[in-house]
Amino acid sequence: MLFKKLLRTIWHYKAQFISMILMVLLGVGVFVGFQGEWKSIEVDTHEFYASTGFADYRLVSETGYSEEDMNKIASIQGVNKVSRYVSVKTNETKENDVIAVTVTTNFDVSSFIVTKGEEYNASALNTIWMSDLYAKANDYHIDDEMTLKYGAISLTGKIKGLIKSSEYLICTPGENQMMPDYKTYGFVYISPEMYKQALGGFELYPEIHAISNLSKKEFSEAANEKLGKTNLILTKNEIPSYSEAQGEASEGKTMASILPVVFLGIAVLIMATTMQRLTINEKTQIGTLKALGFRDSRIVKHYTLFGLFIGVVGSVLGIGFGYFIAWFIFNPGGSMGTYFDLPSWAIHMPWWTFLVVLGIVGFMTLISYISAKNMLKGTAADALKPFTPKAMKRLKIEDSKGWRRLKFATKWNLRDLFRHKARSGMTLFGVFGCTVLLIASFLMMDSMVGFVNKFYYGSMNYESQISLKEDTTNEKALEIATYYNADYSASTNVSLNEEAIAMDIYDINHDYVRFLDTNMNYVNLKDDGVYVGQRLMESNHLKIGDTFTVSIFGSDTTYTMKLTGQLRTLTKGVVMSKKYADEKGIEYKINQVFTNTKKDDISAHSDFISTIKSRNDIIKSFDSFMEVMYTMIGALIVLSIILGIVVLYNLGTMSYFERYRELSTLKVVGFKDKKIGKLLITQNMWLTVVGFILGFPAGIGITYILMKALAAEYEMMLIFGWMTFLIPVVLMFGVSLFVSWLVARKNRKIDMVEALKVPE
Amino acid sequence: MGLIEFKKVSRIYQVGDHEQKALDNIDLDIEEGKFIVILGPSGAGKSTLLNLLGGLDSPTNGEILVEGKDISKLDNNSLADYRASTVGFVFQSYNLIPTLTVFENVSLVKEIVKDPLSVNEMLNEVGLEDHKDKFPSELSGGEQQRVSIARALAKNPKILLCDEPTGALDSETGAMVLKVLLNMARNYHKTIIIVTHNQNIAKMADTIIRVKSGHIREVIKQDKPLSVDEVDW
Repeated sequence: MLFKKLLRTIWHYKAQFISMILMVLLGVGVFVGFQGEWKSIEVDTHEFYASTGFADYRLVSETGYSEEDMNKIASIQGVNKVSRYVSVKTNETKENDVIAVTVTTNFDVSSFIVTKGEEYNASALNTIWMSDLYAKANDYHIDDEMTLKYGAISLTGKIKGLIKSSEYLICTPGENQMMPDYKTYGFVYISPEMYKQALGGFELYPEIHAISNLSKKEFSEAANEKLGKTNLILTKNEIPSYSEAQGEASEGKTMASILPVVFLGIAVLIMATTMQRLTINEKTQIGTLKALGFRDSRIVKHYTLFGLFIGVVGSVLGIGFGYFIAWFIFNPGGSMGTYFDLPSWAIHMPWWTFLVVLGIVGFMTLISYISAKNMLKGTAADALKPFTPKAMKRLKIEDSKGWRRLKFATKWNLRDLFRHKARSGMTLFGVFGCTVLLIASFLMMDSMVGFVNKFYYGSMNYESQISLKEDTTNEKALEIATYYNADYSASTNVSLNEEAIAMDIYDINHDYVRFLDTNMNYVNLKDDGVYVGQRLMESNHLKIGDTFTVSIFGSDTTYTMKLTGQLRTLTKGVVMSKKYADEKGIEYKINQVFTNTKKDDISAHSDFISTIKSRNDIIKSFDSFMEVMYTMIGALIVLSIILGIVVLYNLGTMSYFERYRELSTLKVVGFKDKKIGKLLITQNMWLTVVGFILGFPAGIGITYILMKALAAEYEMMLIFGWMTFLIPVVLMFGVSLFVSWLVARKNRKIDMVEALKVPE
Repeated sequence: MGLIEFKKVSRIYQVGDHEQKALDNIDLDIEEGKFIVILGPSGAGKSTLLNLLGGLDSPTNGEILVEGKDISKLDNNSLADYRASTVGFVFQSYNLIPTLTVFENVSLVKEIVKDPLSVNEMLNEVGLEDHKDKFPSELSGGEQQRVSIARALAKNPKILLCDEPTGALDSETGAMVLKVLLNMARNYHKTIIIVTHNQNIAKMADTIIRVKSGHIREVIKQDKPLSVDEVDW
């Protein structure tokens, strides 16, 4: 019988039940979804690394490693698998695309998985295994023939398999390009036999890849001892396909640990208030059951089921919704799909997410339990009495001079707010929370847009960026730079405290490349030292005026340099002027030329040009990169608005029902619906104003924390644009006004006769 | 023609599958300035009659003329105007706004009526001038009902409608409240209509209307109604 009552009560309070379930659904959904996003990246990429033998350590030497060297490394205790490896950028003859030709001597290390076609064969000649995404973008099919050129060396083979490799999980050629563009850049694998044949029987493997559980120190010491020389050793954390993917996961983790937690907090707290109020509304019924002879424990159990029901239904739906959100952000067809080339896009959740959800169900059940217990306090007669809110007391502000001059509506609303402190507080908290979410989301967006604008439309002050082929001499590069009236740079990888970083040397005479200081102002490079970004300064505990030493990959050469300034950079690296580099005797190879000549007008010296990118190409690529972030923020904004609507509607309805009798009285006395509606709207707008004023700085604070936490990924600063100020104001007040109007409309339906029958 | 006329008024409620006739085709004529008591058992239809007259509810059929104007045809806003200007209500459960003080509860009417009576004067009349800054929860039941009377009269309505005004009070307090109510109504020349079970109150009325099962059974005019003090409470 009580079960029937349970179902009917749920039906009776369907609006509240639906809104509570919606709140749990949204809170749990956003929480679960954002946790799923980073966890899926982490698990799916690691499964990919494992299935393709992604190396833990890479020894790099320009002169290459012999098979004997490799065997020596293999003999180190704690090293499981090794392979000699080469990846060299070649040009495809049809479109002149850049293709990284890759060879691994041991297929258990740094290899690939076949998605279509023939399996790998280490002795196959004239056989190419091609990136499936490159093949798709360029209309290559199995059994098509292709020719690749590297200087005088030419490689021709038939495509026998389409593949994916974790080495190219993020398939970019570097050179400022942050997003893969399979139309112009891809990779292929060939067998060691074919490689040997192409080099005319000669072998050059500049890398040894090793899978090992040893620490970097242990591995380095053992490797150097075995090979009898100091080697440049890179850990997987220094390889973009690993570090950037894990960076993306950690960025998601940071996001997920702040904003969705705020989101969940709002939903659960407001849900708890609603649950408690609902039990209060049921007080007379609780009393009736008690008076009839039902035991307290049975009644409590009955009412506890409400919380359990909402918790379970909301959480189950929320988990489903969470999986959808995770999929929405992390799917091969979305923005993430243009960044990662993964074989599996399965959604994974951290195990503790389910514990948190279980905790929420428990919390809601507990709230119902406590609320029902409170209603049962005292005798059956006490329980039978309807709940009366606390008697009104004079407010302190009533002693002020201005109080008497206040309008009736103002007094009424003020006193009501203070009389129903919990409800008012929760509404305030709801507005506050949604404001925080909106401000944080838009401020993030503004900061990113601001940074991108400053960087791409200011720092990149050129029309085209020309990448030179690897075999271009500095003399030739200077000739090209002069021909195109260009600035140029030389980029190479160096090691700073055993971390691989970029070293960029610029010769700027035309202001085509500009640099941003910490305050986002453009600065010219001084010639008395080098510049680094915030991340490098922090990770190496550097301050301006310090000196530090970098070593060149593949050689024993080191350079000690002075830190003269801090820049905001996209890449982790050292930046210096050519003059300072010359002064320090740094050897470099010019590989980038920046010119104001349009991409289509660049044809001279084409034999030495690897790729030409217009500024728009680069911006487009970065835009796609930022899209991942935009998708997450966009989803958060939309869900924040929905949460705001549900929260405000729920609390508004609650307030309306609690004041039903008062509103009926006003109506009986002769107040018109419009006037009563205005009373209700005014109160909500007050709360919105206060909540917004409190939420605004809090939103900035949260964004600041978020930016700090994301500093490992982006070197951004808070930039306040019009979006931060205008859109949240319009959205929050729009939502509040809309919801208040919806609630206020209800007073048309007040049944004065029924309302006033109820005894106080 | 009287101040109020009911012409073949019915109020039928749909309860599940069947219809319930709360009032069935009644005719009634009430003169201005009189004290009317509507008597009847529970479910007789007396509160329905009062609600229809107060513009809280609309009849299913028939016309309700107040000062010659048919209020059964009014829309929501016009009904609100009617309630604001023509009728004042006193309920058994007082229906004061708990978040407003005594003074403010009475002042409420200033929001909707152009020329209300003085709030202070009304509070003096009901003997609550010393309690005007108190909240309803700080008053006794009788005091709350007097605030409710002051509020109803402050609008300066033609008709005062009272639904069991002493129903929640002990007999002594009830008598005191009735005295205040009648004195004020007479001082300000109001038509008072009280719905009650209480036969004693009927002894003070100019007219007694007995209602049963949705019909008017009897209309008794009393030439010499008793005063509050003459009634044995």
